Amino acid sequence: MRVLESGNHLIALAANVAGVEVVPAYPITPQTQVIEMIADLIAEGKMDAEYIPVESEHSACAALVSASLTGVRAFSATSAHGLAYMHEMLHYAAGIRVPVVMVNVNRALGPGWNIWCDHQDSISQRDTGWLQVYVASHQEAVDTVIQAYRITEDHRVLMPLMLNMDAFVLSHTYMDADVPGREEVEAYLPPYRPLWKLDPRLPMTHGSVVYPVDFSETRQSMQIGQDNARQVVYEAADEFMRAFGRRHGDMVDGYKLEDAEHLIVAMGSLAAESRVAVDEMRAAGRAVGLLRVRFFRPFPIDELRSLCSGRSGLMVIDRDFSYGMEGALFSEVKAALYGHADVPSTNLIVGLGGRDVTYEQIREAADRAFRGEADEVTWGDSHITKAHEITREMLAEFDKLLSP
Amino acid sequence: MFEIRVHGLGGQGAVTLVNWVAQAGYAVDEHVQAFPFFGAERRGAPVKAFVRIDDNPINLRSQVYRPDLLVIMSSDLTGMAIADGLTPDGKVLLNAGPELAERLAARFSREMLYLDATGIALELGLEFDGMPMVNLPLLGAMTRLSGAAPLDVVLGIVREVAGRRGNVEAYESAVRQGWEGIQVVEAGMSAPVSEGATDYDLSRSGVTPIEP
Repeated sequence: MRVLESGNHLIALAANVAGVEVVPAYPITPQTQVIEMIADLIAEGKMDAEYIPVESEHSACAALVSASLTGVRAFSATSAHGLAYMHEMLHYAAGIRVPVVMVNVNRALGPGWNIWCDHQDSISQRDTGWLQVYVASHQEAVDTVIQAYRITEDHRVLMPLMLNMDAFVLSHTYMDADVPGREEVEAYLPPYRPLWKLDPRLPMTHGSVVYPVDFSETRQSMQIGQDNARQVVYEAADEFMRAFGRRHGDMVDGYKLEDAEHLIVAMGSLAAESRVAVDEMRAAGRAVGLLRVRFFRPFPIDELRSLCSGRSGLMVIDRDFSYGMEGALFSEVKAALYGHADVPSTNLIVGLGGRDVTYEQIREAADRAFRGEADEVTWGDSHITKAHEITREMLAEFDKLLSP
Repeated sequence: MFEIRVHGLGGQGAVTLVNWVAQAGYAVDEHVQAFPFFGAERRGAPVKAFVRIDDNPINLRSQVYRPDLLVIMSSDLTGMAIADGLTPDGKVLLNAGPELAERLAARFSREMLYLDATGIALELGLEFDGMPMVNLPLLGAMTRLSGAAPLDVVLGIVREVAGRRGNVEAYESAVRQGWEGIQVVEAGMSAPVSEGATDYDLSRSGVTPIEP
């Protein structure tokens, strides 16, 4: 059914047709509409699921893990500080190998307090073991919720999946999208069949002490799950294409790559905006393409090596920053290419805390980068002025206050 | 692609307005996008909201800086709204009566379209939370100026909402008056008003002026 809806509401509708059975969640801007709508759907009898209003995100993730361990399909959603508060339980979910899906509406971390979009929240959870996918459109958000359970529940994977969707730009924007019917989805995504579950008929303990003699094995097995996900992501995208006629890429999504000399590399909605920049540069006779990194974990190592090899240059856009280093996506791209494809690369940091990024800005930055005029790392939209500094007068006041 | 930017005050219904315009375009199989810029979410604070309508899927995710149609729901915001950018032949639609529209057309030296949306809403007794529902007449005017959808489709959009509130006739009348009531004033029709003059009677709109 085609609908005109906000990204958040589309996520709720997609969770419903995906046959989600338990939803523990705690509200936080800009995610709130997701769980509001799920609560409404359940209250109206349109969704057959249990909603658990918990007292914090830490508990939301604990309940998410526990629900999944009893053998049901579980879903949650959060954002920014909520995700950060879950941090310990994110490790738990991955370590105990539950196939859950959680939507993270990407929002900046404060202070300075900010409810708007950037990727700092999910990038900060890079090493928790969760699969991470970043969507660029409303339709992709719907389709990826459905694909997500195919990926995470595959017995070769069994790692939790975090679906990242940009705050406001996608979450609160109304666009048209198709939400397939429950029956159609069920043919693609059958009801969840756990490999095993917690059941009083066969009591057992899971996730207790693991001594050094076995610990590395549990960790390597998590990496095997992540590695296996690469193949499963392709299968899920291919079968989705056959069932619904739509494909949004797989590990990556390429745009006008064929004869491109230079590539823009980006994630999330900035990659959609970058398409327009690529169109403009192509119209001006420039051989530029776009490589959208869709899965950040597992990282598309092979795809980057084969698709970047032989190009004249890359500009990697980060909507995040690893302090003391550079944009996180930039580091990862270079690490993947090292020793395999020697391509000059630069990093553009833009759009932090919801700063609006236009295709013109991306085009101008790419023009500079591909002429070889950009610094290794460019803060593309930051302009520190006197107004951003603490004044001498203010410091003098403090000096008086602090003097005995 | 047709792009619209709306400037309003919190409580005037700008966000609902852009969603209605998008629904109208969507109803005739256009690709649409509607979104607000969420700043301070409180009554009386300036709000911006955007609409894109296109035959093709929309890739743009940024705000609208060069709209084909600039809609100003509260005339206090005219200077700010124009300063935020417009296409060279973009249209400006003001919620204002003829005298105010003439003064603003002179002050900003440009042709302006205007519609007394506040007057229409008050006359029909259409208020929401004590604010006149200026978004209903503006919906009629915006869908006509953007070519988003025919009038009967637009009326269908508000009928559902109006039905829930038992006020179908008034809603439809407001939209129809907006569709039919767009006036135009050319640039430089009268002498500019002095700076600092109040263009908009806030007490009439129900907006509490914000303390500086």
